[in-house]
Amino acid sequence: MDLVQQHLWGWFIAIYLFFGGLGGATMALGIVGELRFNKGKWFGIGTALLGLALLSFGLLWLVLDLIDPFRFLLAFWIKGIGSSWIARGMLIIMGAYIFGILYVAAAFFESKTFKKWMGYLAMFCGFGVTTYTGLLLNANVGIPFWHTPALPVLFTVSAFSTGCALLMWVLAGKNDHESEHFFHAVESFDIFLISLELLVLFAYFDFARGGNLAVVKSAHLLLSNPLFTIGFLIFGLIAPLILEAYASMKENSKGIAAFASALVLFGGFLLRYLIIWAGVFQYPHGLAG
Amino acid sequence: MARYGMVMNVKTCLGCKACMAACSQWNQTPFWAEDGGKWRTRITELEDGEFPEVQRRFFPTICMHCENAGCQSVCPTGATYTNKDGIVLIDYDLCLGCGYCIEACPYDARYEYEKEDLEKDEFYFGEDARHHQVHIDKCTFCVDRLEEGQEPSCVATCVGHARIFGDLDDPNSEIAKLVNTGEAKPLGEYLATKPKVYYIK
Ligand code: SF4
Ligand code: SF4
Repeated sequence: MDLVQQHLWGWFIAIYLFFGGLGGATMALGIVGELRFNKGKWFGIGTALLGLALLSFGLLWLVLDLIDPFRFLLAFWIKGIGSSWIARGMLIIMGAYIFGILYVAAAFFESKTFKKWMGYLAMFCGFGVTTYTGLLLNANVGIPFWHTPALPVLFTVSAFSTGCALLMWVLAGKNDHESEHFFHAVESFDIFLISLELLVLFAYFDFARGGNLAVVKSAHLLLSNPLFTIGFLIFGLIAPLILEAYASMKENSKGIAAFASALVLFGGFLLRYLIIWAGVFQYPHGLAG
Repeated sequence: MARYGMVMNVKTCLGCKACMAACSQWNQTPFWAEDGGKWRTRITELEDGEFPEVQRRFFPTICMHCENAGCQSVCPTGATYTNKDGIVLIDYDLCLGCGYCIEACPYDARYEYEKEDLEKDEFYFGEDARHHQVHIDKCTFCVDRLEEGQEPSCVATCVGHARIFGDLDDPNSEIAKLVNTGEAKPLGEYLATKPKVYYIK
């Protein structure tokens, strides 16, 4: 067996996956806030547009990563949709734009039923974008550490956690009753998500222990990299969990929660970058010497 | 309709790399690339076995033309396809250049044909340059030569008769016999990619 760490994908793809997931989750959560927590039309419009803007920013990095960025229009030629997650992702992303914008328009003109339906569809696509960012890596048979069902779950949970973090930032500045209420709902949800993320991570590494050589090598690369253990695990996951749990029990603690959110965002990005970095090919012996 | 494949006889490969030279001339692949990584076919030097029984061997590789090709299933635009003769090819006009196929290939068979490579191609081959746009590149079994009734250029130059090319569906061909008797085996069968390149080790 020849083990070779992959070098083709790096920062650019990590930025894309991070902002794609963050954008999708922000839009989905924002629409829930408007539809279910009566946050008012401007909140719905604002968060949906914010989500789409983040997604667009992410897509820019995907385009920049092409050998020739000017060929990006070919991405709309999705003949490989039957099996390719980039093609399927394009469709989901287009859905997010279309339904997201229709939702914004419906909210603006206060057309209630239409808004509700478009809101649900946009939410679904936003959710799809977060999961797709994990499935994209998952489809690579050559890199066994990515080729496990735990990865899309991990990315989805992490994306929603970063979405919650961003919403807490948006909400922290507002003092009206609905905002307070929604802030605490998001905060509790994030605490739940971070705990879940820890659990999924544990399962991920537990799978890895029984995995083949490449998986073990990837896991080893991560566990011996301080960016992962100290940067992501401690500062990006455990610290915000403790801070948010503490803040949720105290009055007037939005500042702490907002600081924790910054850590969550930082951790979410590191996670994606490091998982990509730790991708190891397991070539049959002879291919790589 | 055929089902083309190749048998690599590692026992008789001399390590002369004439195949790499012939392939890169015929297909104009980046022999100029500095990191040494852009070849459609490679010969890797191996030292197998434990001391004092160490054996030096030369290991030829190309795209395995998998029947269950990971590269093809991840390709978003359908640029990567399998032709009627079972050869996995890339339609350069459709290639987005996303590199997804490079990540999905478990045999390290693909590389990027970048802007600098196009310039060098023109520099070395002038009017005969064959690459006019950036794309992902890999072995094609010299499909253009096959159409003219010639063997792939690596096979045609191989000194040690280490490369045997032919139709796997034709039971009388040399390659079908080697494969059907089980003498030649694919690499990494656990990957379930069903390669059409086989090895005698
Ligand atoms: S060896 Fe790689 S490039 Fe060739 S067909 Fe198989 S997966 Fe595709
Ligand atoms: S780089 Fe080209 S051939 Fe490879 S997956 Fe992308 S579009 Fe398909």
